[in-house]
Amino acid sequence: MAHHLVTSADIPVDGEKLAVDKVSRIRVICLMVAIAGALVSVPALLGVFGRGVQGSYSFSWLYGFFFFTTLALGGCFWTLLHNITNSGWGVSVRRVMENVGYVFPWMLIPVLPILLLPQVQEFLYEWMEKHRMAKDVAGSVKEGLHHGETADHLLSSKYWYLNLNFWYFRVIAYFAVLGFVIHFLRKLSIDQDNDPEPGTSRLLRARFHSCWGVPVFAVVLTFLAIDLVKGLDYKWFSTMWGVYVFAGSALNAMAVIILVTIALRGMGYFRNVVGPEHDHLMGKLAFAFTVFWAYISFDQYFLYWYANITEETRYFVLRNTGGWNYVSIILVFGHFAAPFLLLIRQDLKRRNGYMIVVAGYLLFMHMIDVYHMIIPERGPSVTKILNPENPEKWQLWLNGSFMGDVIAFVTIGCFFLFVLLRNIGSAALYPHRDPRILESANVHN
Amino acid sequence: MSTSVKRVYCYLAEFESASALYKAAQKVRDAGFSKWDCYTPYPMHGLDAAMGLKRSILPYFVFFGGVIGLLTAFLLAYVTQVGIYPTVVQGKPANIFTVPAFFPIMFELTVLFSGFTALFACLGLCQLPRWNHPLFASRQAHRITDDGFFIAIEARDPKFSKEGTKGFLGGIGGDNIELVEEDGK
Repeated sequence: MAHHLVTSADIPVDGEKLAVDKVSRIRVICLMVAIAGALVSVPALLGVFGRGVQGSYSFSWLYGFFFFTTLALGGCFWTLLHNITNSGWGVSVRRVMENVGYVFPWMLIPVLPILLLPQVQEFLYEWMEKHRMAKDVAGSVKEGLHHGETADHLLSSKYWYLNLNFWYFRVIAYFAVLGFVIHFLRKLSIDQDNDPEPGTSRLLRARFHSCWGVPVFAVVLTFLAIDLVKGLDYKWFSTMWGVYVFAGSALNAMAVIILVTIALRGMGYFRNVVGPEHDHLMGKLAFAFTVFWAYISFDQYFLYWYANITEETRYFVLRNTGGWNYVSIILVFGHFAAPFLLLIRQDLKRRNGYMIVVAGYLLFMHMIDVYHMIIPERGPSVTKILNPENPEKWQLWLNGSFMGDVIAFVTIGCFFLFVLLRNIGSAALYPHRDPRILESANVHN
Repeated sequence: MSTSVKRVYCYLAEFESASALYKAAQKVRDAGFSKWDCYTPYPMHGLDAAMGLKRSILPYFVFFGGVIGLLTAFLLAYVTQVGIYPTVVQGKPANIFTVPAFFPIMFELTVLFSGFTALFACLGLCQLPRWNHPLFASRQAHRITDDGFFIAIEARDPKFSKEGTKGFLGGIGGDNIELVEEDGK
């Protein structure tokens, strides 16, 4: 690319489209695995295999769901950021960002069990159970939380935010609102492909609408993370939580975007518009967000460690107990130190084979990161519910529960991949009529 | 002027525009010269590739400067706070798990040392500061900081010859070709 100036003669008039037969097998396999996984998962979540499996698998399912949702959220972020900063470099990979982001509205399907099954909620969210008990005892949730045997001052004070109706409304609204934003931006971008006189109007509109899209994204990601994951322990406070989840989302969505662009180039697409310069730029963004993740996650830890307030430290006390301590230490070196050193060199970021390994490694570390967010809560929560008579004898780890994590992860992962491939196949691979496609193709940094 | 011996420093040639300079630089590169440089009023993108310059080794200096900063901070904090005079604050341990408390210092010293290394290694690699530059002997070279685009091929280049280089610079479009001499000792 560096030696050859790309001109409009190099860009196909009708763009490049993914030949469906090239990925049809992979798509069919993904769909079949996802369906097979769902056939196991739904009975497990309904409690067909017993309460123990139901409780354990609820956490597995939340883990799988949340991991892939963060990737989709990151795709939304990169799309919005690309539009709002008026970037020229990334026009040729913008459609990949949009396709990763457009998986987000589809993630409403895997979240349905968590929304619809009160028994699953009982295991995941202690506060919901307390609300329901308060209602049974006192007739109304507010009354029950305020006084009597079900009184809980914290939940009573938080009632305006943490109540069931509002929670349902919020979770649905996240998908509806951000789903609309990403759908709208992607449609704007795709409409340009078929317009014989594309002009700059869509470019400016995408920029304008991304300006309100960014705060919407920030609110959706923050509160989605709070409601679905931080809510696992309603007593825990963290003002860093949203941005911590965001840092991991942005980093790993970039890893997915890097992998998808490299894969599509391997299949013979993108030849004229994406080159080592783009690899380098995307590698730099991955590097930046590796550092950002470390900065945010360390800040969260550090402030709690200093302040030493019981409600706040509980999160890390649990995650520094037993084997979880090793997971925490792995994150420090594996999620920060190693990628920092792997991504620091300029020439290596331009090598595709190398970046496949690094991006895959980053995603693996993100798996551990999300695991570390969600799964430590499982042992205590499930054992306390199954043995209410002696709540002091809780277990840190449930035997055999790892199998469930793998099944849930693979099921939702195949679903994610299926939707992603569908998105990629449903439109041109890059916005070939964007006024800045040549600027992007000839980018130099 | 004085009676001191003059020594040839370089041939200096002016080029009409940035693009003329860029193309000329490619030709000088392809002709196999090694001791030469371009002088422009502003930074030109891509000129390093046109000149065939290799990447600077500066990043390696900076990296090791940063590593030394990190280790300095760690040892300074660890030896004093854990080894020599263990400080117990809020019942927190005084052992290797105290390290989170040192992270801000480790971060700051990493940045400070890499910053200093970047500055001083850059000065060293550029052989700066210096009192004088041989090009200052040329009147027209003063236009480098104004509106002139110049290429200077130095006499220490093995391919340099008094007639051949002059002809070469003329051939690739150079004007006002001047033999610049510095005061010898």
